[in-house]
Amino acid sequence: MSNFMVLLKGEFQRLIKYNIVQVGFGVSVLWVLVLFLIGRDQAADFVPLFIFMDASLMTILLIGAGLFYERQENTLKSLMITPSKLGYIIASKLVSAVYIALQSALFIGLLAYFFFDAAVNFAYLLPFTLLIALSHAMIGYAIAVLVEDFPALLATLMLYMIVFAFPSIFYALDLFDGIWEVVLIASPTHASFLLIDFSFGYDISTTLLVVSVAYLFLLAFSLARFVVFPKYIEKAVRE
Amino acid sequence: MEKVFEVEGLRFTYKKNGVEAVRGIDFAVRKGEIFGLLGPSGAGKSTTQKILTRLLKNYEGRIEYLGKDLKEYDNTFFEDVGVGFELPVHFSKLTGAENMAFFQRLYKKNADVAALLKRVGLYEDKDRRVGEYSKGMKMRLNFVRALLNDPKILFLDEVTNGLDPKNARIVKDMIREFKESGGTVLLSTHLMNDVEELCDRIAFISGGEIREISTPRDLKIKYGRRELSVEYYENSETKLETFDLDKLGENERFMDIVKNRTIETMHSGETSLDDIFIKVTGEKIHE
Repeated sequence: MSNFMVLLKGEFQRLIKYNIVQVGFGVSVLWVLVLFLIGRDQAADFVPLFIFMDASLMTILLIGAGLFYERQENTLKSLMITPSKLGYIIASKLVSAVYIALQSALFIGLLAYFFFDAAVNFAYLLPFTLLIALSHAMIGYAIAVLVEDFPALLATLMLYMIVFAFPSIFYALDLFDGIWEVVLIASPTHASFLLIDFSFGYDISTTLLVVSVAYLFLLAFSLARFVVFPKYIEKAVRE
Repeated sequence: MEKVFEVEGLRFTYKKNGVEAVRGIDFAVRKGEIFGLLGPSGAGKSTTQKILTRLLKNYEGRIEYLGKDLKEYDNTFFEDVGVGFELPVHFSKLTGAENMAFFQRLYKKNADVAALLKRVGLYEDKDRRVGEYSKGMKMRLNFVRALLNDPKILFLDEVTNGLDPKNARIVKDMIREFKESGGTVLLSTHLMNDVEELCDRIAFISGGEIREISTPRDLKIKYGRRELSVEYYENSETKLETFDLDKLGENERFMDIVKNRTIETMHSGETSLDDIFIKVTGEKIHE
């Protein structure tokens, strides 16, 4: 078995042992309960929002908290002195975080399709969720390697939500005028929203879709290249 | 003797705070020896270990591992290396056996983990979560973690920290056996008893510079006093006299005491490594 597969298997083993898969599933169930409480007429409108929350904000938190927890247990350092490549170590964690987001998107998407008549196109939803989770996992990594401790991570996540997530959510709820979309397109949150909305049959222009996909790819790559990889070892090594 | 590591002009500055932690040190670690790196906290020994284990890379100077520049090695370098960290390095919600199995699969060469766990007294607890282990158990598991790829060189940092005397003895015996089987050890510790028992050579490091490198015996002679103190019983009281070691057999007073008094104790002026540590580094030992 290659080292990447060993690392990946280890990540999934820990996702279960640390109850992360179970908690992720529990959050999805919670969203579904909320959808039932909202009522059949309006539930379909909220499904994209809940999938977005899991794929973006939950992914940032999952990656960030995981990194701090592993640093606390000194296991990051222990991994760094194995023959595994740094890219494999980071990628295995990304894959596990993306898996949680996909699990949630699939679960909520299927329920929305069967119970709330949501027009879900899974051929778009799953790859777009993957891209959203990947880019937000990188945002989570970047925050985690740049801040000093877990409270600082939470504070930065709150700031991120205020600056990027809330305006997009308000826009989705029609609390902002359409003119704001020009500004919002610079937000990874909004780009993610557009992709999820498209997967649920909303009318999004091809230009906006292409820009959103390219933007999230570029963001993930840039953060990996210029922030996460250079800073990861420093974070792992520091006592 | 073949050199495992040869370090020349090693310097390292932490970018974040600009502190020069290592200031141009030179030393070599020979194959099959236990080399002690000693010094107070912040002296630069942990930084030096992190550089040698490739955790820190932006150093100045030259390091050769088995005759080749350390920078030329890829990650296969770690197939040769075992690191016993000062603090536990395990996934707390995995069992001891699960932790070892995970890390072991990352190496091509594997040691007999069951035998190692039995030797350090953890085999019976291998299926318990590490989070339930005591500090001593975690440290013993750290030691097994360091050995599970059957390494050629061991980096050990405060390896007996938190261990009771019985388990400390087991670990020290295993280190000695590792050396006898051809392994090389770089040991960092504050416990001078461990140094005295295990190390072939030691380097005292302070302020990022090496102050002394030698064998424990030679250092004791260098820093000791060439004298002999004799406590003897005379006229219902204990008396103490000190004699120069040179030409001791020709010292009439000493010979008279030896022949005619009841001697209670005799001590040479050999100093302890604790005293040498304080003298060389200028600091007290931090436990």
